[in-house]
Amino acid sequence: MREDMIICRCEEVTYKDIYQTVEHHQCSSRETKLRTRAGMGYCGGRTCRTFVDQIVAEVYGEPSGDAIPLKYRPPVRPIPFKTMGGK
Amino acid sequence: MMKDCLIIGAGPAGLSAAISAAQNGVDVTVIDEFMKPGGRLLGQLHEEPDHVWWNGIEEAQKLFDEVLNQSIDLKLGTSVYHIEKANDNWLVHTNEGIYRGKTLLVAAGAAERSIPIPGWTLPGVMSIGAAQVMTNVHQVKPGHNGIVIGINVLSLAIARELQLAGVHLQGIVLPPEHLLTKGVSHPMDVFQSLLHLTHLAPSPLLKWGGLLAGKSAFIQRLSLQMYPKNGFKLWNISVQMKRVVTEIVGHEQVQGVKTADLTASGDIVPGSERTIPVDFVCIAGGLYPLVELVGVAGCPFKYIPSLGGHVPIHDERMKTPVDGLFVAGNITGIESAKVAKAQGHLAGLSISEALGKLTENAEIKRAIEHIEKTREKALIQFHPDIKKGRKHMETIAADFQKKEVSGQ
Amino acid sequence: MDAFRVTKHPVLKLKQNRKEIAFVFEDQPYKAYEEDTIASALLANGIRMLRRHEESGSPRGVYCNIGHCFECRVTARGEEGVRACLTPVEDGMVVSSGKQLPTPFKEGDQ
Repeated sequence: MREDMIICRCEEVTYKDIYQTVEHHQCSSRETKLRTRAGMGYCGGRTCRTFVDQIVAEVYGEPSGDAIPLKYRPPVRPIPFKTMGGK
Repeated sequence: MMKDCLIIGAGPAGLSAAISAAQNGVDVTVIDEFMKPGGRLLGQLHEEPDHVWWNGIEEAQKLFDEVLNQSIDLKLGTSVYHIEKANDNWLVHTNEGIYRGKTLLVAAGAAERSIPIPGWTLPGVMSIGAAQVMTNVHQVKPGHNGIVIGINVLSLAIARELQLAGVHLQGIVLPPEHLLTKGVSHPMDVFQSLLHLTHLAPSPLLKWGGLLAGKSAFIQRLSLQMYPKNGFKLWNISVQMKRVVTEIVGHEQVQGVKTADLTASGDIVPGSERTIPVDFVCIAGGLYPLVELVGVAGCPFKYIPSLGGHVPIHDERMKTPVDGLFVAGNITGIESAKVAKAQGHLAGLSISEALGKLTENAEIKRAIEHIEKTREKALIQFHPDIKKGRKHMETIAADFQKKEVSGQ
Repeated sequence: MDAFRVTKHPVLKLKQNRKEIAFVFEDQPYKAYEEDTIASALLANGIRMLRRHEESGSPRGVYCNIGHCFECRVTARGEEGVRACLTPVEDGMVVSSGKQLPTPFKEGDQ
């Protein structure tokens, strides 16, 4: 397979970046996100979070549990500061 | 202003809930970020076994007419970015300000699973749902000549819709085999999963299943080996279970895909690689419940693959363990729009009951039965074990309640 | 502006006699119909590339078309990060795309 394939579109993180990070650090989805920026971009991980979880499950062996690996945090949509302060 | 009930999502579940709640005197506001009501109902179009067309746009219009009839407050083009609970009331933060409600129904539907493929960030590569909305809602073709990657019930249904609109498709093919395409890239896996659907799927698929596959695994394997390289035709679209797209190519936008033939055991046939020109590519990886808002609201989850992944814990009345929080539709598990509608109707009744506006239990019981009947008759089933998954969730919710009662 | 419109359909009722509107994308004038989104209006005109990735400059277009992926974000009505797929195009609207940004602090870019 092509290892330079992009997994996280927003931050342009490749399969290789994520796979090697999990392999080297034996880390969770959350730590992988912090280390690689996968899932940290504009879409909030809506597109790539399942891929990160899958790679972590495969390489680190963290099985799919009932807790969501990458916790959802507000805001779930990017918003300008003016909206946060009230229009 | 404090509402009795806030509903996030104006799809089949959210609108149905708004209607049944309003009929019981509940004061409702429905919020959705799309500019039209109907949610993903809007793109749907398929022929039922009795040859009557199920037209999602008309179905959405019927719901919308009833919403207007009941004078339900509908806020379109409004994006929710946060949910909080304060003094037993819900605060829903949106780009248009904060809404307040005594109860909250999250009917946010599903998001599409992608499939990463080299070149998939090029303009012209889109999710299959994107192509559906572009074609059926906006009446703009995603392109003139495309290819669909990912063979599943959703991609077959939408490919048919694209074809009806006059879009030419090179076929529906497999994604490349890698860690992230397990179960959806091997010809045998895909073949098996489609066989599970043949008794539920539209008639041409059923005929094909009857033709090619018998009951024993041996015959299935034989069928796949005999499966023509160029695929079989479903509504004249070629479904190619032995062809893979290995890369999407183009300068500044999609210009073609690199494909190869596969053997029945999934190996690339040497020398079969070629580039096919296309102007758009659809990626079809299926759907998963869009649970981010219930996550933010503090709802616990259960991982149930047959329902599409992580789903909020909820009882058979669509109530979550979080006081005043209800769910309905695809957020509770991936099923057809008709099931979502039935779930929404029930959720509206449950909310009325929670607010003390409905005391008649028989109506709720009927609504629960109606969901089961609708599920039974569903033409498009997304997972063969959906009923098991639903049962599992009921047990989980009951256990959860017991624990709460005993104060664990 | 009609190169990609659905012009024939056996089941769906096609939108007809819609009001024409004019808008601008990347300093070029285009036409669309009322009810079009920025994304559908541009695609109907054959425009697929809506922005470039901030860092790499790679071209991007509509991906999910329902507001989940934010790939189609553009600047419209003077606001950044507007999703072209969820925003109705308006008469006289000025739309511009996201550009590649300099990365002066990135290693090896000197």
